[in-house]
Amino acid sequence: MYKRRMLGFSLIRGLAAILLALAVAAVFIFLATDEPFHALQQLLIGPVVSFGEDGASFNVQSFYQILAAMIPTIFTALGVCVMFSANQFNLGGEGGAMAGGFVAALVAIYLPMAAGLHPVVSVLIGAVAAGLITLIPGVLKVSVGASEMVSSLMLNYVVMYVVLHFLNYEFADRSKGATQTHAFLPTAKIAQMVRGGSRLTYGFIAAIAVALLIGIFMYRTRWGYQIRMIGINQNFATYSGMKVTSVILLSQFMGGLLAGTGGAIEVLGRYNTFLWKELPGFGWTGITIAILARNNPVAVPFAAFFIAYLNKGCLLMNTNSDIPSEMISIIQASIFLFFAAEQFLAGLRQRIVVKNARDELAQAQAAAAASEEG
Amino acid sequence: MSQFFDTIFKPEFVFAIIRITSPILFAALASVIAEKAGVVNIGLEGTMMISALFGTLISFWTQSWLIGVLGALVVGILLGAMMGFFALRLRTNIILVGIALNILGSGGTVFLLYLFTGMRGNTSSLSSPNILIPTWNIPLLKDIPVVGAMFSGHAVLTYVAFILVFVVWFLLYKTSLGLNIRAVGENSNAARSVGISVQRIQYIALMLSGALSGLGGAFMSMYYSQSWNTGIVAGRGFIALAAQAMGRGEPVGTMFSSLLFGTAQALETRVSGIQGVSSYLVASIPYVVTILGLVLYMLSAKRKVRRLHQKLKNRQDAEQRT
Repeated sequence: MYKRRMLGFSLIRGLAAILLALAVAAVFIFLATDEPFHALQQLLIGPVVSFGEDGASFNVQSFYQILAAMIPTIFTALGVCVMFSANQFNLGGEGGAMAGGFVAALVAIYLPMAAGLHPVVSVLIGAVAAGLITLIPGVLKVSVGASEMVSSLMLNYVVMYVVLHFLNYEFADRSKGATQTHAFLPTAKIAQMVRGGSRLTYGFIAAIAVALLIGIFMYRTRWGYQIRMIGINQNFATYSGMKVTSVILLSQFMGGLLAGTGGAIEVLGRYNTFLWKELPGFGWTGITIAILARNNPVAVPFAAFFIAYLNKGCLLMNTNSDIPSEMISIIQASIFLFFAAEQFLAGLRQRIVVKNARDELAQAQAAAAASEEG
Repeated sequence: MSQFFDTIFKPEFVFAIIRITSPILFAALASVIAEKAGVVNIGLEGTMMISALFGTLISFWTQSWLIGVLGALVVGILLGAMMGFFALRLRTNIILVGIALNILGSGGTVFLLYLFTGMRGNTSSLSSPNILIPTWNIPLLKDIPVVGAMFSGHAVLTYVAFILVFVVWFLLYKTSLGLNIRAVGENSNAARSVGISVQRIQYIALMLSGALSGLGGAFMSMYYSQSWNTGIVAGRGFIALAAQAMGRGEPVGTMFSSLLFGTAQALETRVSGIQGVSSYLVASIPYVVTILGLVLYMLSAKRKVRRLHQKLKNRQDAEQRT
């Protein structure tokens, strides 16, 4: 009974946080535009419903685009789940995604391989490169105690500039006006799942599968248990004989591996050439998603869908009304703040606890009375 | 290469270091106060972005640079209070609050700018010389050769930044508020047991921290870049965190580590002009230096602890022998 009530409570709280965030967004929309209802319509139902002359209809292509946009952020969010579960605030997912994408692109351009194998190998090599990068803050943390947060933030910038250096000076395709690499070999492209320009690739299937795998890893294996235990109480983990250092390093490597996979799949699935000129932003979105999913890998795809949906809505508001698409930042930040707030609606939780205690007391008294009579 | 050394051994180079260090120093001092009270303020970056925007907007509306700077300061305080509300009252993890603030800083500012002015992305059309932070030619000092060129003619806020190093030191070590802040940061339970309101002190620390980073933001948009744009803070709020860590959380030490990062950035602008040097690799120098600095500092701190242990052990051994 108690467990069920608390589960109900956390559902209500999550919903309340999301509604509050959307309410904040609505306030800003009302302030910013003359036709707020049109803008809100674009934000909330625009992503999947298109309004033609013959009324409203389900927009399949747009729905596919949302699913496609989820792919990289599911991976970065899974990476955040693993890294944050060990209580390491490694923010290197951003750099990891960029490095993974770039390295995978290089493999896709310069290492000819069989068609089925090529994308897989490219993504894996990119992922390992990214894993090694997010490993650095972890190593610095466990060896000299340098804050993983600060060093990973700095590392993101270093990764960005190093990638830009190689993109501009070593691997640039000089025949093109824009700064980009040569085209990927056709064998390296990740295939589309559906027709049309939605860019929904088989990477989506991979993302869902990996989410389930990471869910099993975190909740059904020894390593996952150790990662979570270190996150909950590192001293306990140390005293119970866990190899804390290696488990932390493993978690940081895996986090980068996942972020790099996301970046690599995005690059090989969406583009024909590498052309990112700044950090892609998937790392930060991944953190929002991981928080929405409460670090539970299996919940990540749902949270990613929600964020991708809102993102699409904001883009639509940008084109069809006069609200800048950066609105998404305000919504994301509000979700962040309320969703992660432990004391949000604490009064309600308190009432549930009290009610439960009263019920238990009443039951115990009834049982005592019954046994006295008997 | 000789051309490179020519530019470095000039008073202008020192002038540039001081100018570039100022915003980092504001944010690093902000981090010092928060850290002393036991709260991690990772939202410095976002606070700087938002207050930089409001500094520009308010100075444009009032046509007064001073009111603009004060406005940025107030916005910083409000953001600090907001951090406090979420982190202390609603118990959101402070790091997440900081990240949320940074998200607001990077995207929310674009929205706010549009909301207030209808402009997108930057405020360069609002800019005019009379609403920028003025520079100050120090009488007498400005006439001394070399030294004058280094230390005179900076923005008023630059002098404020370096004065604030000592103000923050005084606040932390010579006032009862500072004592409370340090007590809360050192051991919040002990502080609570002697009747200090931990929450109140941390609120105050976050608001002071916001105020300082607000000034840093105003410096960026109202002097350094002369207008606001989306890339204006460019990780300075994060570098400041590293400067604080390297400066052992002490105001004076933090000033020196901020100067180190300022030097790295000043070098970057000098080196990038030279033919055949990759501007991208050069641009990464300050961030690499930050990581290296952090590691070296932590190593030396570790060694110091080990040496202390050794000393203690030696003394115990000696006592046992007697």
